[in-house]
Amino acid sequence: MKEYKLVFTGTTGAGKTTAINAISEVPAVKTDVVNTDESLNKKFTTVGLDFGQLNLANGDRVRLFGTPGQSRFDFMWKILTKDAFGLIILIDNSRPDPLEDLAVYLEGFAQELSTTPCVIGVGRTEEHPAPSVDDFSVALAEKGFSLPVIPVDVRQAQDVILLIELLMAQAEADW
Amino acid sequence: MNIDVGALASARSECSKLLDEQMGVIGVVISSEDGFDIASAVTGNLDPSKIAAMASSISAIGIVVSQEASLGASKSITVNTEDGFVYIINIELARKPCALNVIANSSAILAQIIYNCTEIKKRLSVS
Repeated sequence: MKEYKLVFTGTTGAGKTTAINAISEVPAVKTDVVNTDESLNKKFTTVGLDFGQLNLANGDRVRLFGTPGQSRFDFMWKILTKDAFGLIILIDNSRPDPLEDLAVYLEGFAQELSTTPCVIGVGRTEEHPAPSVDDFSVALAEKGFSLPVIPVDVRQAQDVILLIELLMAQAEADW
Repeated sequence: MNIDVGALASARSECSKLLDEQMGVIGVVISSEDGFDIASAVTGNLDPSKIAAMASSISAIGIVVSQEASLGASKSITVNTEDGFVYIINIELARKPCALNVIANSSAILAQIIYNCTEIKKRLSVS
């Protein structure tokens, strides 16, 4: 049996905790506390990590980790991505500048992205169609990245599974 | 985080007093549950906002570990290092959950710091 470690990161409210909850086969471990940051429209926020687990049909196991979103917790980004098989960056398209949000995570994970497969999932695209998936691809290309970008609703397990499948495909392509 | 002015003044005073009066203490930070620096007294290059965020993560992980192990509510965390220690105790400030973080070098006495932090916790809980 192989074990894979996948890390979900991305902006606050992008759905990292929700994504892990959507597919974890064990009760997810959450470190959510009451949010006191009035600039964020959410009651709770992750300050440590999220953890879940998914068993694949072939018997392999995927351990799912979620990072805190805010950059003041960037020390946790480094800790959690150590030895990760892949990275999923979730972007909330309803935020003021989603492309700038993406840039923050590309910079924050620059070292990991040089060796770790990554896919980008963009949420709330139905209500907030701009920037488009193509806009994200262009922004990535301008920074020298060629990464898959898809619209997702992380409340839907099949969307989260699709992100993981893309990550696996990306890993095979990198080999 | 909105904290009553009087409670905030008490918190700042307690941080400064602990830093000034306890041998080996190099930083004292009171942080919100979600990792913001509320009151602090530090020396050197210690960054209170960074300490606050780290304490928030450590405390949150301590809480889930104690839940997983059915050990009841997490009260405090000690990180022992070669050259000192970090002591984090959960406190209430103006009825809001917070953490009191003490960073100390090897000349500090852990038991003494634990005692002082417990006393600060009592005082701030009624401030």
